[in-house]
Amino acid sequence: MYEKLANMPLEIFEERRKLADLSYLVQGITFTVYSDGRGTERLFPFDLVPRIIPRSEWDTIERGLAQRVTALNLYLQDIYGPQRILKDKIIPRNLVYSCKHFRREMVGLQVPRDIYVHIAGIDLVRDSRTGQYLVLEDNARSPSGISYVLENRLVMRRTFPRAFEVCEVMPVDHYPNELAKILRSISPRTGDRPVIVLLTPGLYNSAYFEHCFLAQEMGIELVEGRDLVVVDDVVYMKTIHGLTRVDVIYRRVDDDFLDPLAFRADSLVGVPGLMNAYRAGNIGMANAVGTGVADDKAIYAYVPAFIKYYMGEDPILHNVETHLCSDPDQLAYVLDNLKDLVVKAVGESGGYGMLMGPSSDKKTIEDFRERLIADPRNYIAQPVIPLSRCPSFDPATGSLSPRHVDLRPYCLYDGEKVTIVPGGLTRVALQRGSLVVNSSQGGGSKDTWVLRGDE
Amino acid sequence: MMLSRIADSLFWIGRYMERADNTARILDVNYHMLLEQPPDTYKLRWDPLITVTGERTRFYQKYDEAVARTAFDFLGYSEDNPNSIAQCIIRARENARTIRDRISRELWEDINGLYHKINRLRDEGEDLARFCDAVKRGGHRFHGVCDATLPRDDGWHFLQAGCVLERAEMTARILDVHYHQLLEGPQILNEARSHAWMAVLKSVAAYEFYKRQYTQIEPEKVAELLLLDSRHPRSVRFNLGLLQNSLYAISGSVPGTYTNEAERLTGRTHEQLTYDSIDEIFAGGLHNYLEELQVTCRTIGAQITETYLYYAVSA
Repeated sequence: MYEKLANMPLEIFEERRKLADLSYLVQGITFTVYSDGRGTERLFPFDLVPRIIPRSEWDTIERGLAQRVTALNLYLQDIYGPQRILKDKIIPRNLVYSCKHFRREMVGLQVPRDIYVHIAGIDLVRDSRTGQYLVLEDNARSPSGISYVLENRLVMRRTFPRAFEVCEVMPVDHYPNELAKILRSISPRTGDRPVIVLLTPGLYNSAYFEHCFLAQEMGIELVEGRDLVVVDDVVYMKTIHGLTRVDVIYRRVDDDFLDPLAFRADSLVGVPGLMNAYRAGNIGMANAVGTGVADDKAIYAYVPAFIKYYMGEDPILHNVETHLCSDPDQLAYVLDNLKDLVVKAVGESGGYGMLMGPSSDKKTIEDFRERLIADPRNYIAQPVIPLSRCPSFDPATGSLSPRHVDLRPYCLYDGEKVTIVPGGLTRVALQRGSLVVNSSQGGGSKDTWVLRGDE
Repeated sequence: MMLSRIADSLFWIGRYMERADNTARILDVNYHMLLEQPPDTYKLRWDPLITVTGERTRFYQKYDEAVARTAFDFLGYSEDNPNSIAQCIIRARENARTIRDRISRELWEDINGLYHKINRLRDEGEDLARFCDAVKRGGHRFHGVCDATLPRDDGWHFLQAGCVLERAEMTARILDVHYHQLLEGPQILNEARSHAWMAVLKSVAAYEFYKRQYTQIEPEKVAELLLLDSRHPRSVRFNLGLLQNSLYAISGSVPGTYTNEAERLTGRTHEQLTYDSIDEIFAGGLHNYLEELQVTCRTIGAQITETYLYYAVSA
């Protein structure tokens, strides 16, 4: 495949690339960047060269992810339930309680079918030295990006139909169906057609395109906070013919903004009284409130221990070596080696609030040093992983050249098993040498092809 | 089942697209008409155009005089004019983007495509005629795409209601302003006056239809066609008839009855336009009649909003 692309005349490749770009623009597949003050729409750069994963490699990833997502759910059931793991001192109590996203309101609350993380996006990197896939971070709140996976595939099929005839690529299109099935299953009311909605913060959210896309694909209503109202602990939406009862919310609004009466009072995108309805068992919500206590970057270090503790298994996918700055010895090590490490704030995501030691100047490093000393619990540090690279089109030279990539597969948990559409979002650092793949920091994406066989 | 917010967006997509289209039409026709006119009629003819759009005050805050260049700038692109063509298209697109899961992909791509096209024409410094042409074509395509891809559910009727209400009001306003300028304003040549009435007809795509029926250009006949005709898709009566159908479809009311204020006002006004004669209207004063029509249209819009789109819920 790569050979074929490399031999394709530049003009033809350019032409197809423009066609693909145009189709993104026409469809308005854009995301919003905030750093320039007023939020501009941009195309998410798309690299036409697919990332190919042989079947055997994928099988390992799939088993590893299923194991991890199951463990995360068992941990959440425990933390908001009997808290055995704290009593057994597997993880320090104060580390859990000091998580920014730990929700006291959830303790003792029974969530429908005991599912906390219905949807997880687990970020993987492949260490180019060992060829091993490692878990870089867990996203257990409301991971985004699946719409790019589905749209990228659509564009690829339009742009290179013949390639799909030759390579046997595993399909990804069933994701919305699988998700819809899970959402239906957590309805508190019996009846064959529960009313399901996707709650979005609105048009100016960077993932708004995805919210629309998923609502449409699942055939559910896309709502904003102002469309919903809670009366006597029951959630309704405002329609042209009065109020209609809502059973399940797939929410893409963070906990903090979900209900101004329970959490941040200044939230304009939430629904006053929603937590009471949730507590009363009148509404199913995915993901559950409080799942951020599982994807905190300090908790991450303990996930392999969760797998061992709850499931009695050895982790199939390993973590990246992680130093918790809350531990004085580890903090000392981190401070001594700042210029060689990646430092991350534990409750952030999307590449915000991090330090890339090797590529930062002295002043930035010293700034971070002060922040670390002032609030060590808020940071972890990891060695720089030499990410594997994948051939990508370089417009500057008009040829294929290797660029760093990571992989975010999307895992769906229905209470018994984990379903993962083959592949996921491959993000690529389009700048030569760069290791940062976040879309907000100039990264792009590729289609990810899991082959039916190994060839 | 339809969320009020989505109905609201559809209603305003209809209104903004129609507003953009009408504005392009009056801009374009005026421009072409003036190409063959003596220069001293210039001022006379660009000024009423600004008045039609209801943005006279804002215009003269920004420009000294109304000429082709300033009118094009103001009505075409200006960010200071909330009703400029570009602003209408931007807002139609914002609404479409908000509810893109609820409209056909074709409709979204069409509105989004028009938005990008308008931006490109501005960047390329394209002239007035080609710009207006693009907007008018965009308007036609918009109606075509809606017609061919949208299910005839409540959403369709809100979109339709927005379009026809806007069009009814715009037609009344175009007629009002030109009537005022041509019959009660300063004297101009007969020939020029006839040209101006032709321009009015062309701006609402009714010129050919008019010629087949009346041959001579007479203000009363022009008014009759634009107000009372039962067949032309831009006459006020025709559009209020469509509005009535859509409102009935939404509420489930039977013709001849009403369940809310918007339906009552629409029904009453449609009946008036059906049975009033143009002689009676002129006898009572056309300007008053048109002004009342415009006020009624605005009230209907407000009533639709109050009944379906923003109502109070006691929690």
